[in-house]
Amino acid sequence: MVPFYLLFPVSILAGFVGAMSGMGGGIILIPALTLLGVDIKHAIAISILSVIATSSGSASAYVRDHITNLKVGMFLEMFTIVGALAGAAVTLVSSPRPLYIAFGCVLLGSWLALLIVGHDTWHSGEQDSVSRWLELEGSYHDVAHGGVIEYRARRAYFGAPLMFGAGMIAGLLGIGAGAVKVLIHDLVMGLPPKVSTTTSNLIIGVTALAGTSVYLVHGMIDPGLAAPVVVGVVAGAFLGTRVLVRISNQSVRKFFLIILIALALEMIFRGIRG
Amino acid sequence: MARDLQVTATGEPVGQAKMDLLVGYLLLAGVVLSLALIVVGLTWRVILTGHFSLDYKISGMNLFEFVVLEIRTAISGQLRPRTLIDGGIAVLMLTPYVRVLASMFYFMIALKNWKYTLFTGIVLGVLTFSLFLR
Repeated sequence: MVPFYLLFPVSILAGFVGAMSGMGGGIILIPALTLLGVDIKHAIAISILSVIATSSGSASAYVRDHITNLKVGMFLEMFTIVGALAGAAVTLVSSPRPLYIAFGCVLLGSWLALLIVGHDTWHSGEQDSVSRWLELEGSYHDVAHGGVIEYRARRAYFGAPLMFGAGMIAGLLGIGAGAVKVLIHDLVMGLPPKVSTTTSNLIIGVTALAGTSVYLVHGMIDPGLAAPVVVGVVAGAFLGTRVLVRISNQSVRKFFLIILIALALEMIFRGIRG
Repeated sequence: MARDLQVTATGEPVGQAKMDLLVGYLLLAGVVLSLALIVVGLTWRVILTGHFSLDYKISGMNLFEFVVLEIRTAISGQLRPRTLIDGGIAVLMLTPYVRVLASMFYFMIALKNWKYTLFTGIVLGVLTFSLFLR
């Protein structure tokens, strides 16, 4: 049994980083829980439950600020939830080591991709007919930039199947897989960074619910762990949300890069060592 | 395009902007209620037992069976910390579900956007299926 005085602060930190980055709390929470001695599958199950809380808590603020694009969210959720169900089903039958390595690889992949595009600034592009038919467009008021930014999403036909994959990673590893979703939104669909992180946050909640339902019915949601973790994670997410709205896109990206590489190496090392 | 027109002359949000508020407050209410239940349950338990550790499992139930069991326990007068904590977990899981349900009705009734009513309906259908898994 993990002591409360460790579990609670770790959960606050995970929630804070998750909300700030749009990645969801799981990316910090799972390595931390396994270090505290929790079996990785249970860590994944608790994490994905807490991800519902992180996502809903911070998404509520972004949605009311009209930054999140609900149509983009709803459309892509059709694909992520099916992926999450498949992913969770795979985890139930998998052994722990591949899970560690897969976790590390997802982190490393996100880090590499983010490093390559890190210097680009967002610019609006031509919308294709599919994305136009799907009404994937919008505008938001950017506090850091000080004006209204209009955008039109594109290449929804690539974004959708990729989001199935993102959902699968979420269900499989118990994370929001926000970094993957943000990448798909940024690189494939051409959404501005703030819209992509906040819309990813909304999608994560529903995707995590699909994954959680699989873990719940297999008796892997342990309320003794879940209760303090959820409270801590939401408290952290509340703070993280306040920070994101006020800092520029470049600071968010730099912050991602450092966190991602450290965790990636740690998880891969543990998976190989066994 | 209705989406571009987010407020009327009197500052009232319309269309998509109104839906943003509905979804935002639903998510907020769900998380606040869930947290309140868990915090009260944990605090109550600490007062009763003098420690935080809580060692029990929810075995082999889907969310709807879990909710029915918790409601039945609460009604039969056996309210205990565990009931509140479990209730908090159930409310948390129902939050995104209710968000999708509300969005579907909003797309259907207020915005009359059939394309998105269908998309949201598909999301709702898959979620309902997953919550009834055995």
